[in-house]
Amino acid sequence: MTKRLSSQKLLKNNVLDTHLCTGCGACVSLCPYQAIYNDRTIQFHYCDLADGKCHAYCPRTPTDFDRLRELLFEAADLTPEIGALKAYYLTRAADPELRAVVQHGGTVTALLELALAEGLIDAALVSSDVEQYLHYGTVVYDKAALRKSAGVKFVVFPMAAAFNQFAQREKGRAGVVATPCQALALAKMKLNIDKDKEQKVNQLCLVIGLYCGWALSAEKFSALLAKKDIKKENIKRMDIPAGKNILELYTREGVKEIPLAEAQACVRDACNYCIDSTAEYADVSVGAARFTGTADEQRGWNQLVVRTRKGGDLVDMAVKRGVLEIKEAPAESLRQLKEAAMEKKKNALANIAHKSGSAKNLLYLDSRDEMLREILKTD
Amino acid sequence: MKNLLAKDPINIIITGVGGQGNVLASRVLAGMLVAKGFYVTIGETFGMSQRGGSVMSHLRVSQKSVWSPQIPLGQADIIVALEPSEALRVMSRWGNPEVAVLSNSRVVYPIGVITGDYGYPDEERIKDIFEKLAAKSWMIDATSIAMEIGNPVLSNIVMIGALAKAALLPIDRRAFEKEINKRVAADKRGANLAAFDAGAKMV
Amino acid sequence: MSKLLSSANKEVLFMGNEAIARGALEAGVNVAAAYPGTPSSEVIENLASVAKERNLYVEWSTNEKVAAEVAAAASFAGLRSMCVMKQNGVNVASDFLLHLTASGTRGGIVLVICEDPGALSSVNEGESRYFARMLEMPLLEPADFQEAKDLTKWAFELSEKIHNIVMLRSVTRMSHASGNVICGKLPNKIRQARFVYDGPLTDPLKGPVISTPVGVKHKLQQEKLKTARELFEKSLFNKYIGPKKPRLLIITSSACYLYAKEAVSMLGLQNRVGILKLGCTWPLPEKLLKKYLRLTNKIMIVEEVLPFMEENIKVLAASYPKEIGVKTFYGKIDGTFPSVGELNPDVVAEALAKIMKVKYKKLPVSYAQELRKVAEVIPSRDQTFCPGCPHRASFWNINAALKLDGRDGFVCGDIGCYAMASLTPAIGFYTVRTLHSMGSGTGLASGFAKLDMFGFDKPVLSVCGDSTFYHAVIPALINARHHQADITFVVLDNAGTAMTGFQPHPGLTVSATGENVPAVDIGKICAALGAKVAVSDPFDLEATTKKLGAFLEEKVNLKILILRQICALSPEKKGKKQYDVKVSDELCLGDECGCNRLCTRIFRCPALTWDKAKRKAVVDEVICAGCGFCSSICPQNAIVKAKARVL
Repeated sequence: MTKRLSSQKLLKNNVLDTHLCTGCGACVSLCPYQAIYNDRTIQFHYCDLADGKCHAYCPRTPTDFDRLRELLFEAADLTPEIGALKAYYLTRAADPELRAVVQHGGTVTALLELALAEGLIDAALVSSDVEQYLHYGTVVYDKAALRKSAGVKFVVFPMAAAFNQFAQREKGRAGVVATPCQALALAKMKLNIDKDKEQKVNQLCLVIGLYCGWALSAEKFSALLAKKDIKKENIKRMDIPAGKNILELYTREGVKEIPLAEAQACVRDACNYCIDSTAEYADVSVGAARFTGTADEQRGWNQLVVRTRKGGDLVDMAVKRGVLEIKEAPAESLRQLKEAAMEKKKNALANIAHKSGSAKNLLYLDSRDEMLREILKTD
Repeated sequence: MKNLLAKDPINIIITGVGGQGNVLASRVLAGMLVAKGFYVTIGETFGMSQRGGSVMSHLRVSQKSVWSPQIPLGQADIIVALEPSEALRVMSRWGNPEVAVLSNSRVVYPIGVITGDYGYPDEERIKDIFEKLAAKSWMIDATSIAMEIGNPVLSNIVMIGALAKAALLPIDRRAFEKEINKRVAADKRGANLAAFDAGAKMV
Repeated sequence: MSKLLSSANKEVLFMGNEAIARGALEAGVNVAAAYPGTPSSEVIENLASVAKERNLYVEWSTNEKVAAEVAAAASFAGLRSMCVMKQNGVNVASDFLLHLTASGTRGGIVLVICEDPGALSSVNEGESRYFARMLEMPLLEPADFQEAKDLTKWAFELSEKIHNIVMLRSVTRMSHASGNVICGKLPNKIRQARFVYDGPLTDPLKGPVISTPVGVKHKLQQEKLKTARELFEKSLFNKYIGPKKPRLLIITSSACYLYAKEAVSMLGLQNRVGILKLGCTWPLPEKLLKKYLRLTNKIMIVEEVLPFMEENIKVLAASYPKEIGVKTFYGKIDGTFPSVGELNPDVVAEALAKIMKVKYKKLPVSYAQELRKVAEVIPSRDQTFCPGCPHRASFWNINAALKLDGRDGFVCGDIGCYAMASLTPAIGFYTVRTLHSMGSGTGLASGFAKLDMFGFDKPVLSVCGDSTFYHAVIPALINARHHQADITFVVLDNAGTAMTGFQPHPGLTVSATGENVPAVDIGKICAALGAKVAVSDPFDLEATTKKLGAFLEEKVNLKILILRQICALSPEKKGKKQYDVKVSDELCLGDECGCNRLCTRIFRCPALTWDKAKRKAVVDEVICAGCGFCSSICPQNAIVKAKARVL
């Protein structure tokens, strides 16, 4: 009789060793065996348990996507390109002070501020770059702290681990800002609530997804920064302005530019196998706006996809309270978004098939999945 | 010299776990016997590999000569164990239908039992084995007795007291007193004698 | 008064090593030096304990080669001296010994080797008798406790007679066994040291002590061996017991004599089997052997480790076929005895029974079956670090740092209790991947680090204990520094030579005989090498892991972390708990926790056990040493430590 592989071993064989690990941290802070360090998932000691949460929550282990979509969304909203779509807008924070400190329109921060103020959540989990050792995201409870941590950095933060830690430590409700892989991990926690004896996932009340093309490997990017003599801890936020082929680093010593190709060489391997660019498993997803107009005009706005009823309610309230400015997005914008999303999906699927050696073996994905079939069909 | 031993040589194995005072017990017992004019050969297994591992002393008591420091298999006459699974371990190799066993009942779990890799036989099972395979056997909660006296490490002396009372060897309290006076500081003699007496009461 | 100084004719129980020490005292030894090593250490410990009364100079030397040199100096000055080591120590000392046997000696000098057949407390079963043949020095092997004393005494006399060093070989079952010994007289004469060196180079007794001119000195050396052989022919340490016309002759030495004697008596073969026991095993006493080899055609050779006697006897037999006839030999070479591991009476009896075609009486069949069933229920007692051992914490830290580093780094191990981390990988948390001789871990690490030009990309650590540091690590560290090898070296400093019983070493302020001596500081030596040096307490998990992690990351050629924490068994710590440690029943979630019993399944402290009824962890207060480290590994913080009350 062959012994069943432990969850930890399965993760090692099928996710870590194959470089599919996204560094989301879903498998971390559940037990003393695993940790995240420098965005790498570490296995300290051997654990022989099967059916563990670590394996069930991982966004790169097989998932019952049908059940997941059924659990989170209304069937009528589902699209093959960008997942559930209830509404699509261009948005920005109404408060000009907030807009001055954020990357684009400030939509994420505005929504979180509102959710906190209205008591919909007790804490917001946002990315932060504390020491590499405790690279676990930050929990903020008020507006001031939230504004301080605003800023996109394109580097992986183990947000799912941050949620695990939060739920272990506190009883309150959390709103989490998540990349697509992290949003999927958080969704899988909800899907596997039967494994969660204390039902901690019920503390997860809001997921604001971020559009994501790729993320940088902290290790590779640190090496690049060291080469360019840029101190990592001085970087406040990053941006990729349209059409300039550069990565801008907003540091304490001013803006520094890195050629995009050099930055992209630091992209985490796992990103090549990701089919989600719009955080399909969030309540709402937010990204930089792309529409005709000057770069500066675009910079001031976000795109917003409403996916769930809960997400829609929050956006409605934000508009009603005057926290969020909203405008109809041009049809072209949605078409471009879908096209870009589709492009990423196709590339990722090709990469996955190449890795597995067969178009039928899609590793963590299932070629029989209805939504995937739609995509594969268009080839 | 008249025949003072039930057979010659008498083979005794004192066994336990590193740190239980196994070596001291064998030296004290041997000292008492040498003082009475016997040839005693002790073979000891200790050293690096024995930290927290099994420790074993082989004693051969003879009126004629020195013997091999290793007792042939199946030829133990007396087994004194400071830990019950160690009694079984010795029993399984040196046991025979005439053997007498005195064992401490206090368990020191092997690391493999702690990790969950192995099981540990329960006390009833161990007692059954002794009753079935030994001519005589005693299970004594020596560690608890020693702790009452003040130090669990005295469990070795409790077992020596029990051995003396079992009358398997020509040793007595007076011989023990003389031997222990040679080995331990004056302030510790009382506790050692108390341990010896408490052990004797258990047989 | 020490038992070691018992008066003449008194019968006492001596451990083999005590008997050797007593023999040296009876020979009037003046100087004794050694490096600790099981099973040899008690010889020096015993001599050190009577050094004042007997006016001896006794030291724990930095290593075996230095010990041999210290002893040799005393011999050159006309004193009697000895050096003591375990089997592998001879390898360390051998370079000096090669030259010493060539230069010759003056005062009686004895090299005591305690070997470890079966590797009961070693990582090898090295055989050092070949050194006697290779370095051309006489070899003696005591076969019981009385002989251990008497032969030691005679070894000094022989050495002084032939003016060369004499090797005395004991084994674990002799050194660590005890038996009755009748004491001899202790001499009163005290020798004065006088080194004469102004004679000609060719005069080994009056000139400089030197191995050249080689032709002259080598010839002299061989003549000394011939003299020894002549003395061996008449020595009473070689004796025959058995019938005049035996069917089979056993030739044996050392503890094997006791096994052979017992095997013959177990099988009732006293009238058919003779035993020739040799106390003088190199060079072989030819005439004596020829005489006994003629008795029968069946010769069994009983010896441990390698077939040293067997080879030598076969060469001898082949030289005189006409005189002694054609023989059948039973030994290690033909497979009569296993080629590895130690012997015992059973192994000898079984072999003998087969050759002599007699029945080897065993237990009643049904009883033996029951015993086999018992064997099945006994849990094996695997090695682990002691409760409170700093090494467990150190390897826990090393594992954490290596895993965080993420480049699959590994540790080159070394000799000490911490060698167990390689012998039983689980207790070193699978970090240690090589283990050889003392100091070799760092030499290997230095080599690994230079393989980057061939694509080698793993970080390399080496570890060693404090005593090992002085013994053999320093040259390897110099090598690493000089050749810019990027390694992290961890000193597991537990303040003594713990494995062999807390002998002092150069890092401490006390000598073998209890005198105050200056300590040689490890940190200062490391700093003087130009290495980056840090110190940490292995019981401080966070600080130690951080320091190690930083060292692994840093591209500097030699980084040294000294992990300081006294051994749990050290006299100053033993029995004194620093913390009372308990598992909180409320906080420990037991089987319900996601920890999968990290504390018991992985951590492996004998005091931290699993309560099957409660399905939770529990601390056994009798076994717990109170170090408190386990409280930092529980994810629920359920292991609670509180400062222990001072007793």
